Amino acid sequence: MSTVDTVERIGLDRRLWRGVIAVAAVLLIAYPLLSDDLFYQNMIILSLVLAVGAVGLNIIMGYAGYISLGQSAFIGLGAYTVGIATTRIGGDPFVWVPLAGLVAAAFAALLGVIAMRTRGFAFVIITIAALFILQIVAINWDSLTQGTSGITLPLPRWDISIQNWPFYYTLIALLGASLLLSWWIRRTKIGTGLLAIREDEDKAATIGIDTPVYKIIGFMASAVFLGMAGGVYGYYIAFIDPTAMFDIVISVQIILAVILGGRGTLWGPVLGAATIEPLNELANQQFGGGNSRLLIFGGLLTLTILLLPKGIIPSVRDLLERRTKRGRAALVGGRLGERRALNGRPATATGGTGRNLLEVKGLHKHFEGVRALDGCSFAVEEGTITGLIGPNGSGKTTAFNLIGGTMRADAGEVWFDGRRIDRLSPWRRAYAGLGRTFQITRVFTDMTVLENVVAPLRSFSWRQLRAGAVSGEEAARAEELLAFAGMAEYRDERAEALSFGQRKLVELAQVLMLDPKLILLDEPAGGINPTLIARIAEMIRELNAQGKTFLIVEHNMPLVLGLCEPVLVLASGECISTGTPDEIQRDQQVLDAYLGADFQLEEPVAAP
Amino acid sequence: MSTMLRLDGVVAGYGAGDVLQGVDLTVDGGSVTCIVGPNGAGKSTVLRAISGLLRPSNGAIVYQEQEIHRRAPDEILELGVTQVPQSDALFANLSVRENVLMGAYIARRDRKLVERRYAEVSELFPLVGERSDERAGNLSGGQRRSVEFARSLMLDPSLVMLDEPSVGLDPKALKVVAAAMKRMVEAGKTLLLVEQNVRFGLRMSTHGVVMESGRVLMHDRADAVLNNPEMTDLFFGGTPTKAPPPTAARA
Amino acid sequence: MTEFIQATAFGLLIGGVYALFASGLTLIFGVMKVINIAHGALLILGAFLAFTLWEQFGLDPLASILITAPAMFVLGLALYVAMIGPLRSAPLSSTVLLTFGLALVIEAVMGLVWGNNSRSARPSYFDQSFDLSGIVLPKAQVYASIVAILVLALLWLFLNRTWTGRAIRAASANVQGAALVGVNIARVSALTFAVGLATVGAAGSMVSVLYPFLPGSHYIWIARVLSIIVLGGLGSLQGAVLGAMLLGLAEVYTQTYISTAWATAVPYVLIFVVLFFRPQGLMGTRLREDVAV
Repeated sequence: MSTVDTVERIGLDRRLWRGVIAVAAVLLIAYPLLSDDLFYQNMIILSLVLAVGAVGLNIIMGYAGYISLGQSAFIGLGAYTVGIATTRIGGDPFVWVPLAGLVAAAFAALLGVIAMRTRGFAFVIITIAALFILQIVAINWDSLTQGTSGITLPLPRWDISIQNWPFYYTLIALLGASLLLSWWIRRTKIGTGLLAIREDEDKAATIGIDTPVYKIIGFMASAVFLGMAGGVYGYYIAFIDPTAMFDIVISVQIILAVILGGRGTLWGPVLGAATIEPLNELANQQFGGGNSRLLIFGGLLTLTILLLPKGIIPSVRDLLERRTKRGRAALVGGRLGERRALNGRPATATGGTGRNLLEVKGLHKHFEGVRALDGCSFAVEEGTITGLIGPNGSGKTTAFNLIGGTMRADAGEVWFDGRRIDRLSPWRRAYAGLGRTFQITRVFTDMTVLENVVAPLRSFSWRQLRAGAVSGEEAARAEELLAFAGMAEYRDERAEALSFGQRKLVELAQVLMLDPKLILLDEPAGGINPTLIARIAEMIRELNAQGKTFLIVEHNMPLVLGLCEPVLVLASGECISTGTPDEIQRDQQVLDAYLGADFQLEEPVAAP
Repeated sequence: MSTMLRLDGVVAGYGAGDVLQGVDLTVDGGSVTCIVGPNGAGKSTVLRAISGLLRPSNGAIVYQEQEIHRRAPDEILELGVTQVPQSDALFANLSVRENVLMGAYIARRDRKLVERRYAEVSELFPLVGERSDERAGNLSGGQRRSVEFARSLMLDPSLVMLDEPSVGLDPKALKVVAAAMKRMVEAGKTLLLVEQNVRFGLRMSTHGVVMESGRVLMHDRADAVLNNPEMTDLFFGGTPTKAPPPTAARA
Repeated sequence: MTEFIQATAFGLLIGGVYALFASGLTLIFGVMKVINIAHGALLILGAFLAFTLWEQFGLDPLASILITAPAMFVLGLALYVAMIGPLRSAPLSSTVLLTFGLALVIEAVMGLVWGNNSRSARPSYFDQSFDLSGIVLPKAQVYASIVAILVLALLWLFLNRTWTGRAIRAASANVQGAALVGVNIARVSALTFAVGLATVGAAGSMVSVLYPFLPGSHYIWIARVLSIIVLGGLGSLQGAVLGAMLLGLAEVYTQTYISTAWATAVPYVLIFVVLFFRPQGLMGTRLREDVAV
């Protein structure tokens, strides 16, 4: 949720807020022209560097939820790039600033590649390690970096009356650029993808989000302008050495700026940076820096996590939300909206085409002690609505997990559309045309309904990634799907507010966004009222008529018997029977499976 | 046989809605009672309510003449009611012996008692003695279940509740579990179990209870329940004619 | 060849101390799922305490364990109540940040109290060595390793032969199961944290003799913490001990055959290399947050 929304809630007019920002920006730009005070100019310059760092960190941490304690590594890399290039090759340091950005981005990509198979906290570890290793390299590789003696840059050659203006304005430009980048990312599918990763990375993978690539993009975006700012900063200080350039406290300050200001908001990090830097100055001037600085920022970090884990802006927002519970239409139990039929060419033939779209061969999967799937094999014919039933513990959801890719099988093969997919990542399976819903719905609660449906990626293309999340082609498509599901009027509501049944509809719309060939539905009728069940059945039939194949796990027998043909029966991890609903109902084997293995005791247990 | 446990019109749920909608149930001392029913009927929830993990909003649970529905879980443990939950509650990296010993954790100060109980339980479950130093996680499914049973007996409970003891087990393991249950009954324990595997559950039991949508539909001798044709309908999608109409699930 | 044996012996000795250092960390993670980044800072704090006891009262640093360990135990209880307990249910990344902040605070406090100069406790055997047919082993190192093994043995006994120890191990294996048999999870967690700090206090006493140290030294220990996690995983005490040994050997070999300066990079390099090839850590325990089904 953006700062603007929060501001709206406080009651301020959107335009007033924009006015405030505009005035602040003008003041900032005009300041050096109005005042000669180098002290405050210095403070602003340092704040700007922090702000660029915070805005960047917000992309990987605020949006994607991956915390980096190593952002100051990019400052150091940028500074050293400019320093080394200027002293070795020559030219004006400013010329090398773009290169500094490239170097930082490249390093971020490298770290990303190493970290991409790990999760959450392993990423923090890698960023800390990266920062320290760079410091060690800077100290020891003295033929390149002059080691601890540092690199001294020549003093600026411009007119002294201009003072620090070049630094000042370059940094403002960099801050502007990073804000633009952050804003742009947030309003495209890259942004929705990153948010999805933060909320539910596994679910994001199943809707086509190539999580490692997204994370690398996010991380590179956090690095590029910070690297440039680092280059400028290095020139500004004119002395580049390992301790000052790879300073962990600056990393902590950047994190604090994001956390205090509010993760995930656009202006929050800037606000945070503007708060942190004066504190830094205070620590240095009044308390002699060093240990006091450590104490203040370490303590602040600790206290912030303990007391205000969400940050100032979101905490204020939550506080206000609790007070002004305006009658946002009680969405829970709300009536179902009107449904629109799908536009689309009907399939040339209804019912099965005779070709197997999905084939599962000899799947084995066991968890500690339990055999969930034991040589399970079955096939789903293209164009059918196939049911998958079986008693509890028969392996149905495990089978879905293996087919969809959220789990790896111990043995066996999964073939889809003529290709073997059991080694593919979940997003590649989505690109191949496989979609899946979950028994307990998984939607991204922090995003709006529309963003939820826009987030999926049909195939990996820059065109799709660049597409707008709330307007443009992709958004239009998403709206169409929402209308189909009858959820169009909820498009701007946060998914968190939806009822269980409404979330099911949104999840279905998400899956349809992938334009899948096969849709796996996990208990679509579970926990919802008969009217909604009927509607979902209607939707399934309509989609099937347009050529989509379904595999449905269900416990609701009347639904299965009325909707599906054929029906597959799983028991004890194997497929024991397949046939028409009538045949299944009369199959003794199936009955046995439901009532339990025919178990005969030698002697009775106890006298009644 | 006297009534050991009684539920009177118990209503309980987890916030969104009440899973139990007025459950009436009795368990006689020395019996083996099995609760069966389709998914979502509330079977496991009954056990949770009895163990004190879930407080009923209405109704009463009476154990040996004492009302227990407002008591804390460890108090109920001390009264002699234990539960072996459905999902793995085993300590995989501890030895079999340590797993069983932990069953007597709240009585750990009385060393003699613990040693005596351990000896008694080992006699009942030879597996415990045979594999006492092995890592519990290395055992097969049926063996792990048996260790969990053994653990539940350390406090010498009178009522032992088993939540789906057969789930995930192959026929061989089922035999092991059945034998273990039999031994518990012979040792004088009353068993209350919840079972998904209807045949296994009812064949093991003296009494059967059929639940659906949070209510008890049928409560009779186990063989009567098993052979009742209405019951088959219930599990396979029809609506049994004698049952009250199920309440519509919420959207 | 002697050089290799020498280096190996040295590496194993150091590994013993690292193992003691890591044991507390593993315990804490096992029960509370908290990665304590401040573990390094607490180690240095222990070193400062031991140093002060030696400087003021002439108490042998290795013997001062009898004071530093209990003192750190009490500190552990206090810290748990103040900030760790509330975070038991927080996401892993929050606890990393919190303990990182704590590490900086401890560093600052140490600097304010003891100053930022390098210290080293120098008992009589400080610069003496054992000579075993050409292999030179510093006495301090040998004594420290012996004490480390003793403390680890005590820890093992505690975990495996007492009810409380069993409760701690049960809670690390399966919190629900432990609660079901009546284990008070909050109390056990606090105790575990305190024991973890006691062991790090003991390790700190050793460090005061083995290396010169100052408040800023904790950063290299953070690296060692992380590297041991990645190498040995956090699943078990054995894993942590193994990881510690491997790290010790790796550092000493680098020091012997490459250079002392680059030896400080070893923990970091190990982190990168291992995480790249085996994201789940060498011992295969959960570095990936569990796959949700």
